[in-house]
Amino acid sequence: MSDLLSIATIILAGIIQASLQLSLGGLVLLYHSSMGRHKRRKTRYLAKSYIWGAIAISFVFVCAGAFIIQNYIQQEAMQLWQVICIGVLIACALVMLLGYYRDSKSTELWLPKNISRYISRRARRTNDNIEAFSLGMLSSFAELPITMAIYFVVANCIANVRLPLLAALIYIAIVATPMMILKFSIKAGRNIIAAQRWRISNKRFIKVFSGSGFVVLALFIMAFWVM
Amino acid sequence: MGKKRITYEYTHNGVRESVLRHAKALRLPEGWGEQIAERIATATDKWIDDKEIVTEDDLKNFICKELDGISSDIAFAYRNHDKII
Repeated sequence: MSDLLSIATIILAGIIQASLQLSLGGLVLLYHSSMGRHKRRKTRYLAKSYIWGAIAISFVFVCAGAFIIQNYIQQEAMQLWQVICIGVLIACALVMLLGYYRDSKSTELWLPKNISRYISRRARRTNDNIEAFSLGMLSSFAELPITMAIYFVVANCIANVRLPLLAALIYIAIVATPMMILKFSIKAGRNIIAAQRWRISNKRFIKVFSGSGFVVLALFIMAFWVM
Repeated sequence: MGKKRITYEYTHNGVRESVLRHAKALRLPEGWGEQIAERIATATDKWIDDKEIVTEDDLKNFICKELDGISSDIAFAYRNHDKII
């Protein structure tokens, strides 16, 4: 696969991951609970740390994945992994389209209840930057069942391009975009409830967008990697 | 074996603080937020006065209904803050 195709795949995978809602939901929760307790400046620092945490774990996953693919997975075995990856992507698409949200009136996700309660509780109790950073990492980590296949795709692309660091940074920039948009819109004076209302009113669109994104990514891999 | 029932004692300040926290999260002017919180807590005191026991959901519904008439944003935040993820 050429560098251009790899970068296109990375961009597509990044957009799909950016459309997932757990990290963004965690940030909304953090903003909501922090603005009620802390000064604006502290809330800004907490949000910044959260975003760094969320993108750091994605960066670590794709870089570690690229390293493993480059050094430990043989070319013959790679084709099998790619076929598995296509299957997982199609499964993720079905999960997104059929059952990503728990309820029609809210943005509650089908996460195990104890994980979502834990994230909510941590968001309410987060008081310093390290806690916010680890909360960001945790929320990215909790998304792993859905993002695992995306990480594999991105890692495989990164392992095969001439400028792997640039490719990883492009991916991370795309993943961070929704959180950055939320951060800047709060900074510009919009309140967090407006953001949450937007999430609720557009959740069907987001669901269809993410679901079809997974299908497109699976077809893309089938066309350019496997065949 | 049935589920263990957890009970809390109702306090005026508890309601006041929780409404105030949501008002602050919405960046309402502090004085206005405090006025709203006090008004809701006073209305809740009256409502709860003749009741022996109320569920958390009943209390939440009452507070949200009262908030609907004052600030739909705080009512929305109060109703949905535990349904974000």
